[in-house]
Amino acid sequence: MDQKRLFAAIALSIGILLLFDVWNRTMSPPAPPPAPQAQQAEVPLPATPAAPGAAPAAPAAPAELSPARAEAQRVPVENPRLTGALSARGLMLDQLVLRQFRETVEPGSANVTLLAPRGRPEGYFAQWGWTAADGRTRVPDNETDWTVTGGPLAPGRPVTFTWDNGQGQIFEAEVSVDADYMFTVRQTLRNSAAEAVVVLPWARVRRERTPQTLGFFILHEGFVAVQDGRLTEITYSDGRDEGNRRRAQGSAWDNEAAEGWAGLSDKYWLTALTRAEDGQRLRSAFRHIPDQGVDRWQVDIAPPAPQAIAAGQSAGFASRLFAGAKEVELLDRYRDQQRIQDFDKAIDWGWFYFITKPFFYVLHWLGIVTGNFGIAILIFTLCLKVLFFPLANKAYKSMGRMRLVAPKMQEIRDRYKDDPAKMQAEMMALYKSEKINPASGCLPILVQIPVFFALYKVLFISIEMRHAPFFGWIRDLSAMDPTNLFNLFGLIPWDPPSFLHLPVWAIIMGVTMWVQQKLNPQPPDPIQQKIFAWLPVLFTFMLASFPAGLVIYWTWNNLLSIAQQWYIMHLDKKAQAARPPAQGGRGAGGQGTAAAKK
Amino acid sequence: MNPVTPLLKGAVIAYQWTLRPILGCNCRFHPSCSDYALGALSEHGALRGTGLAAWRILRCNPWNPGGYDPVPPRLNRLAPRAPGQPET
Repeated sequence: MDQKRLFAAIALSIGILLLFDVWNRTMSPPAPPPAPQAQQAEVPLPATPAAPGAAPAAPAAPAELSPARAEAQRVPVENPRLTGALSARGLMLDQLVLRQFRETVEPGSANVTLLAPRGRPEGYFAQWGWTAADGRTRVPDNETDWTVTGGPLAPGRPVTFTWDNGQGQIFEAEVSVDADYMFTVRQTLRNSAAEAVVVLPWARVRRERTPQTLGFFILHEGFVAVQDGRLTEITYSDGRDEGNRRRAQGSAWDNEAAEGWAGLSDKYWLTALTRAEDGQRLRSAFRHIPDQGVDRWQVDIAPPAPQAIAAGQSAGFASRLFAGAKEVELLDRYRDQQRIQDFDKAIDWGWFYFITKPFFYVLHWLGIVTGNFGIAILIFTLCLKVLFFPLANKAYKSMGRMRLVAPKMQEIRDRYKDDPAKMQAEMMALYKSEKINPASGCLPILVQIPVFFALYKVLFISIEMRHAPFFGWIRDLSAMDPTNLFNLFGLIPWDPPSFLHLPVWAIIMGVTMWVQQKLNPQPPDPIQQKIFAWLPVLFTFMLASFPAGLVIYWTWNNLLSIAQQWYIMHLDKKAQAARPPAQGGRGAGGQGTAAAKK
Repeated sequence: MNPVTPLLKGAVIAYQWTLRPILGCNCRFHPSCSDYALGALSEHGALRGTGLAAWRILRCNPWNPGGYDPVPPRLNRLAPRAPGQPET
């Protein structure tokens, strides 16, 4: 019974925050148009990580000026989980499709596209390059056509990109991919000129638009990084604000660290950069680049200082790019095998990491054992309920004794009718002298809050829910229940507006919540009582557009609470039947039970 | 009074008006843990008040008999110094 209230509390606070967020977004003025930046308008890809004091790279000639130019060479990328291509022009990984994930649950649905070429609105790509820190070395840019050796790129078959700048420097990048989502790129510059050069090698991920985010406060979407053990999460809107505030520095955030990674995270997908060699210090940055009224986003990494390469010498930088789905076990593996610090934290486990992560493992295991993630949720919730049952049962045990003192309680109630505080104090004194106490206490509630919040959070972020079917019409636990009362569950050929969405599972949830509330004692305060009475209705509508998995979990939890309550009342009745009637008779006994339920 | 105390009291009052109606009255004591926390903060200041409230919540479990448990009165040697009061 306590859990239900707890859920109600959690959900209500979530609801308030959600509403506030929606309100906030509608109220906030549109972002100011970016200041005209001539250079950025001409060069589609301006902000390469510049070393402190380094001159910006010379702008490249726009592609439009040379229409006769041949199509850029593309190198296919192929592994069991990815398919895509690298562009030899500009050395970009700008096409990547996740073979094992589809856009929708429909059978013929297209695979999820993570990366796309930069000319397109959905452009999202990774690129490797150099900045001329000495201001004179000719470095490759977006229009550079690299010479390709090898290909297609596949596990165990790296591809090398080479470019000679004609001034004695040869740039080289060896790209390799593993069987999952990790690319490794070794950049080398060989200086055969008579003079030393000073350059800064870098790797970056760039996104040409702001993706559609869920905007849900318990789920982070946007920039994410772990740097020397510290997790940094910056949303797109905060990134924009910070970017504007720190325009002079050219980044929304940057940091130098001995260990860590930086990336761009969606609910389920991630692109992240890190160094490939232990001991290499890294400077990472998040950038917001307003360009022709569109927000561009960039994550980049580079060595902390430019490299001075003497004549006849070479120097390099090795980095890794993760581009794929945030699968927990895979992230764990990369964390351990490639020593990418706290890489599993790319998943937004939240403050209760130490609870959410183990919960995930148990749910994941149950999902494999039962073959259905929905069933796994039901079993896991049941286990938690059983675990917390002794707390409820303990309160029950004092109920028997309670009946014996019911007459005394009634007497106190009558005597202090007009003074609730005094009545409460007297009641407490009685509880103490008779060694009974109906309440379970504040501590059990406090302990349960993080536990159930953690479960909720795991269900929300877990990729296991994505496109995982349940029974009947639920084909995707992570999407909202598609049925709707307002078109009589599909009988009327009408597509109601989104606020008129009332699916079957939400209605069942509302009913179970209402029943459960009937079994619980009413709060003493009339205002609180009114709020309480409206909660099931409020929740039915609020949860209507939630992932079906969460609504099912909520419903199941209510049902378990009802069953628990019923069981305790049943035991109570049996105990009552076994005892001789108390002095106060049944009426007083009923009073005692009512008090005991509080 | 240091500025943290009203902040903490504000948080407790916020709890009483938002979460408490939903969580319900599960306290085994009188006054309830939140009222106790308010009293303890006024009486003993932020640090000791928080400590007292935390200890109270820890005791508020099914294995404690509960009952009447008012905020302990302020003892002079333990009380926070009033502003301007010389250090002893």
